[in-house]
Amino acid sequence: MFKMYFLTASRSILRNKSYSILNIAGLTLGITCSILLFLVIKYELSYDSFHSKADRIYRATTISSYREGEEKSSAAHYPLADLLRTNKNLGFEQITQTHGEEGGQINVLGDDGNSIKRFREEAHIGFVEPEFFDIFDFETGNQSAVASLSEPNNVILTETLATKYFDGKNPLGRLIKFNNKLTLKVTGVIPDLPNNTDLPFSMFISYKSFIDYSPYGDAKSWNTLSSTHQLYAVLPESKTEKEATAELNNLLVNHIPDKSANLPKEAYSLQPLKDIHFNAELSNYSNRTVSREVIWSMALVGIFMVIVACINFVNLATAQAIKRAREVGVRKVMGSSQLQLMLQFLGETFLITLTATLLSVVLAELALPYLNELLELEITFTVLQDPVLLFFLVAQVLLVTLFAGIYPALIMARFQPIAALKSRINTQKVAGLSLRSALVVLQFTICQVLIICTILVNEQMEFFKSKSLGFDKEAVVTVFLPTGEGKKLMPMRQELANHPAVKKISLASSPPSANFTFTGNFKFNNSSEDVPFHANYKMADENYLELYDMKVLAGRHYKDSDSAAYVINETMRRKLGIESPAEAINKTIALGNGEVKGYIIGVVEDFHQNSLRDPIDPAIILARPDNYWFLSAKIDMANKQEALQHLEKVWNKTYPDDVFDYEFLDETIERFYQDEARQNKLFKIFSIIAIFIGCLGLYGLVAFMAAQRTKEVGIRKVLGASMFNITVLFSKEFVKLVLIAFILAVPIAYYLMNKWLQDFTYRITLDYWPFILAGVVTLIIAIITMSSQAIKASLTNPVVSLKSE
Amino acid sequence: MKKSVIETVNLQKKYVTDTVETTALAGVNIQVGKGEFVAIMGPSGCGKSTLLNMLGMLDAPTAGSLKFMGTEIASATERHRANLRKENLGFIFQSFNLIDELTVHENVELPLFYQGLPKNEIKQRVDAALERVGIAHRRNHFPQQLSGGQQQRVAIARAVVGRPSLILADEPTGNLDSQHGREVMTLLSELNEDGATIVMVTHSPSDAEYAHRIINLLDGQVITERIHATSAALAL
Ligand SMILES: Nc1ncnc2c1ncn2[C@@H]1O[C@H](COP(=O)(O)OP(=O)(O)OP(=O)(O)O)[C@@H](O)[C@H]1O
Ligand SMILES: [Mg+2]
Repeated sequence: MFKMYFLTASRSILRNKSYSILNIAGLTLGITCSILLFLVIKYELSYDSFHSKADRIYRATTISSYREGEEKSSAAHYPLADLLRTNKNLGFEQITQTHGEEGGQINVLGDDGNSIKRFREEAHIGFVEPEFFDIFDFETGNQSAVASLSEPNNVILTETLATKYFDGKNPLGRLIKFNNKLTLKVTGVIPDLPNNTDLPFSMFISYKSFIDYSPYGDAKSWNTLSSTHQLYAVLPESKTEKEATAELNNLLVNHIPDKSANLPKEAYSLQPLKDIHFNAELSNYSNRTVSREVIWSMALVGIFMVIVACINFVNLATAQAIKRAREVGVRKVMGSSQLQLMLQFLGETFLITLTATLLSVVLAELALPYLNELLELEITFTVLQDPVLLFFLVAQVLLVTLFAGIYPALIMARFQPIAALKSRINTQKVAGLSLRSALVVLQFTICQVLIICTILVNEQMEFFKSKSLGFDKEAVVTVFLPTGEGKKLMPMRQELANHPAVKKISLASSPPSANFTFTGNFKFNNSSEDVPFHANYKMADENYLELYDMKVLAGRHYKDSDSAAYVINETMRRKLGIESPAEAINKTIALGNGEVKGYIIGVVEDFHQNSLRDPIDPAIILARPDNYWFLSAKIDMANKQEALQHLEKVWNKTYPDDVFDYEFLDETIERFYQDEARQNKLFKIFSIIAIFIGCLGLYGLVAFMAAQRTKEVGIRKVLGASMFNITVLFSKEFVKLVLIAFILAVPIAYYLMNKWLQDFTYRITLDYWPFILAGVVTLIIAIITMSSQAIKASLTNPVVSLKSE
Repeated sequence: MKKSVIETVNLQKKYVTDTVETTALAGVNIQVGKGEFVAIMGPSGCGKSTLLNMLGMLDAPTAGSLKFMGTEIASATERHRANLRKENLGFIFQSFNLIDELTVHENVELPLFYQGLPKNEIKQRVDAALERVGIAHRRNHFPQQLSGGQQQRVAIARAVVGRPSLILADEPTGNLDSQHGREVMTLLSELNEDGATIVMVTHSPSDAEYAHRIINLLDGQVITERIHATSAALAL
């Protein structure tokens, strides 16, 4: 019985080749996209879900309340871990503190203790305690290595780094130097960590060495919070998150030494490990979060792709049903029941879906490396060893079979036998004309929404690149400076500038826009009260404003020696209630808790200190040579190579142990938006594919209509219709559908994009042209698709087409 | 008198469309006995095919009585009719109506397959039917590879393979040349001689000669019934 169904099914698939190819191609594309998106989603969702205690691991995060609003940080105070430990862990099963660095300077030392190789390491480096490996299930090989982390100055390397540093020779017992500060002994090598973790360290340094290293100040202070310092704890089964949070805050209130009333009020909050990858408000060590909305929109896009492909199928199959009416009639006359017929047609759909799915698996495997590159992910694809993926595929085959097959099957099984035999069933009679129209409308609505979103996301990306930031980011090379070598800075600045291709050199805490800021409280105009907001500090030398071409509205820039002269930005001036830039000059500002008093020497135009997601903050630019961590060099791009060579030469002379690792500032700033850039790429690709699938369906539908109406076309041609007349005849209905789809797509896309743009303080305004463009583009694509068929139909010799009935 | 296979009393069929109402059958009384070979004739549009469809339970009559083997089925459900159809009736069409995707063998197998017979019995009976119509050597061909006459023979094999109590044929020679037409008619009368009951619609007087009895329709009504002289004895 099944053999019979299979035979008829496969023969009818082969017989109607072009139709089957269209269907299989459409489904294959749709399913391939769904597989790829499924893999991406599954990968994102798998972040840190593999730890056996994953459900009970929490990160202690801090909420700081200022007089104006609050700020969340993934940081825990430095002394928190010790405090917890002296209080029996406060009931937590385990706790561990970590400090993460995004790479650093690594020197491999020879037997004589001299540096024999140096690396500018980009991999993440963690200061961890042995407990780290109890809480998180990372493969460690041997336990003694982990135990060595309880002593200072030890380091465990992952296999990749061990090979990189020691060329496959035994690294155990060898010495490396980290950031020219810590000398560490390699005590273990462990397998590389999986990709799907937000604790992506490649090097584990004993946490005990952190005190000696601590780059940003006092590692024992309750006054500092740095998101690079995080604390993880395992909640016992017996306790709820709420109880633990309350106890934690109790402890904080009772133990923190009385802080100045001017400091923010702080409270802890426990963030589940499983939330870390998806919460954009709190940073993590991998510097990448994926919001749940993005996950959802990827899932939606995937579902849409499959729906568009299924709609193709339904449209083509119902149109095709007419061709098969006679077969249905004969089978019914021979005694087939409706159910048997439905099973037969569903069987065919199943076969097509299965073929498409198998092709998709191959295609997805081929496409995955490109997707990985595009999204900067490292997803692997092993269908047979992945039960979740297998289940997804099987479920998808069944669902698509049902969704795409049930309606055409029902239509065909219900044909009246006589009518079917007489071929009295025509396109109109197959109930679905209105349904098919609705499906085409749905398809085009989806396509147009995708196009509009793509255009707008793209526009916002361009806006990121082109928006004036209040300073000149072009042709600026930045290099991270080694810490603790302050004496060398000024002579080096001199020497670096001493080349025709180098226009200007400036030293500062950071470029005007950076993904980190330093903020603090201050008093204004001799008041004894703090102003109710914090300011961003930019510590910079006397060349800063000129190098970055920042516009001075009043006053002037300070000299290097002027440690009491401050330059403020316009936002700062407005927030302080000063009427004009000129009036701000010589007003006093006292930073911090009143120790450093100074005066305003200049006011600059507003410049962006963060990404365009965030508003411009009030800023104070001031000279603090101890806090210069960035070198900025404005170079002559026409002589780029010479400039870079010169910079590197001087650098190597000044810092023989540090690699000259430069970056162009415009590229750095572009990377602020890499998540959006990825979304943009994803949108682009998938909307193009969706439109393509939709066009496949449209092409099939029109081709079929043309075949059905060969006779009509023949008669019309005999009566004198032109090719244009015929094309219009074919296109009229579909053009109407595309227009209806457009009317539906506009509000949907408007709503979605409006929501997306809310995340950005600085954003494009929603103009009407992307909407019109999307409509016009779909219309043109649809018309081209249709006219190819119409022209074919109209070119057929009318005698031939008349005979065909 | 022999037991009748089918019997109609005042059988009516009206087609109602949006604008017009067509009376295709206006009260037809006929009776077909077991083993009979009846031809239905009449001008185009007089309702022959409609009558045949009623007899073949492919469509329900508007009014009147239709008895099959003594059971009233005029108002039976489509499901009931479908069941009766597959157990008792064989159809032959002017346009053969073979399924292009199936081979000769598979086409003939179809009714038995839907009856759910065991595999080896299906094979035996299909082989026998193909032998019977002389097309066994083409069993693995597809319909498109056969001539019209051959296709019609396949259709006949398909009609008889289920051993129906009644065979209905609508212009079985309509698409064939006279040579092939004669072959098909000979085959039908041989089947009749073997015991099959046949009702056939035809436009061709020479085809009608093969039947025992001719029913003439005009405007949906029986106008004459002529009993074929040579076979009168068989019919009554
Ligand atoms: N589905 C239908 N809807 C409306 N009218 C119909 C339908 N089928 C048949 N008729 C009408 O019923 C009448 C009888 O049609 P039928 O097909 O039975 O004629 P026929 O005797 O078989 O003609 P022919 O010899 O041309 O095959 C005709 O007037 C026809 O137009
Ligand atoms: Mg007829």
